Amino acid sequence: MKIKNLSFLLVSLYLAMPSWANTIPDTATMEIQFELPSIKSSTYVRPYVALWIEDAQKTPVRTIQLWVGKDEWLKDLRSWWRKVGRNDPILVDAVTSATRPAGQYRFTWDGLDDQGKRVQQGEYTFHVEVVREHGGRNYLRQKLVLLEQSFSKQLSATQETGQITLNYQVK
Amino acid sequence: MLNKKINVFAVTCSMLAGLVFSNIANAHTGWILPSHFSISKEGGDWLTFDVTAANATFVFDKPASADMARVVMPDGRQERPGFVLRGKRRSVFDFEFTEQGTHKVLIKNAPRYITHFKAGRRDTPKRMRVNKVERAAMLPEESRDVETSVMFTRVESYITVGKPSVKAFEIEGKYLELKPITHPADIVAEEEVRLQFYFNGKVQAGVKVEIVREGVPYRNQQNQIEVVSDEQGFITFIPQIAGRYLLVAKHQGVITDDLFADKMRASVNLTFEAVLP
Repeated sequence: MKIKNLSFLLVSLYLAMPSWANTIPDTATMEIQFELPSIKSSTYVRPYVALWIEDAQKTPVRTIQLWVGKDEWLKDLRSWWRKVGRNDPILVDAVTSATRPAGQYRFTWDGLDDQGKRVQQGEYTFHVEVVREHGGRNYLRQKLVLLEQSFSKQLSATQETGQITLNYQVK
Repeated sequence: MLNKKINVFAVTCSMLAGLVFSNIANAHTGWILPSHFSISKEGGDWLTFDVTAANATFVFDKPASADMARVVMPDGRQERPGFVLRGKRRSVFDFEFTEQGTHKVLIKNAPRYITHFKAGRRDTPKRMRVNKVERAAMLPEESRDVETSVMFTRVESYITVGKPSVKAFEIEGKYLELKPITHPADIVAEEEVRLQFYFNGKVQAGVKVEIVREGVPYRNQQNQIEVVSDEQGFITFIPQIAGRYLLVAKHQGVITDDLFADKMRASVNLTFEAVLP
């Protein structure tokens, strides 16, 4: 009886949300328009930047961009370091790049996780952490539901970030 | 003659001052303050630690010694710091953290004994720094309400290089001990923290804990968090604001079959940081 109940539950779960068991479409990508504002300061240095995606269980799925000068400063990206960086030095080596000046940037997330697999359809959170020495820190989060429909989200500007636009495109 | 009198007076004064000072020093809370709590530099890095005793959280006051500072490495072995300095109002030590994982930094204090008693016609309360064995020879005749306590304070903090580990959490089974349930490298403002207390190796209910954030001189209230451990020795609390915190846990217990003391007064003073959410 118990076993029957369990299998019934599993079947109904599967029927209720069939799409969640599927990966996002092969053509799905997310374009990220990102801006570091120019900040007038006598001691301006380029900020450390991390852009990453977490799933609904808050497990990091993909670090999209990581701009840090030396590994000594990785920990200053407090949230990214605690959630992602400290657990995986090989990943850090693979994704880290130099800091960049104020300006507009455009990246594309290919819909793959850090292991190169296409992610499942479902709920995710986009994270941006920007930390500037002699300056401030801004940590932004945006919920995303990645299914088979395209959508667009905008994150308003903060002290350390310009407007961020996320375009999820399924062609 | 006058000179001699002045000398005697001066000596008496300085002795009295010494007495008062050492009493005050005892009442102060000892703590250790790391320059950083986590390291991301490949191959590790040097950190520096302040050691002092004070009544205000993270305000330097009395030069507690750092000679007995030790570092419990991620594999459980203990190392000594490389450089130790003693100043007038604090001691300092530096240590190079080169191994991946979580380290426990502590001051290896020695237990101190104190005997309280009443003597004389007026029942004057008195005390001596002696244990049960020593007190026999030193107590005046007709001393009353004689009780010897052993006092032991653990002064500690945790440092994590790269990925956190838990081997350094292992308890000794002596005095009061704190075992992190929430990893110290995962304490985040606005999120619940869970810790567990042990007394002589067993989980201990009723441990009184006070947690104070840094920067006390710059606000009107201490805003301390006060919690008491439950049946399983657990406490839970939420640090609302990111920052460095001093946790002071105290427990008194009667000890039986002990040659040196009747009572134990044990504390744990843990320094931790709550990172930004």
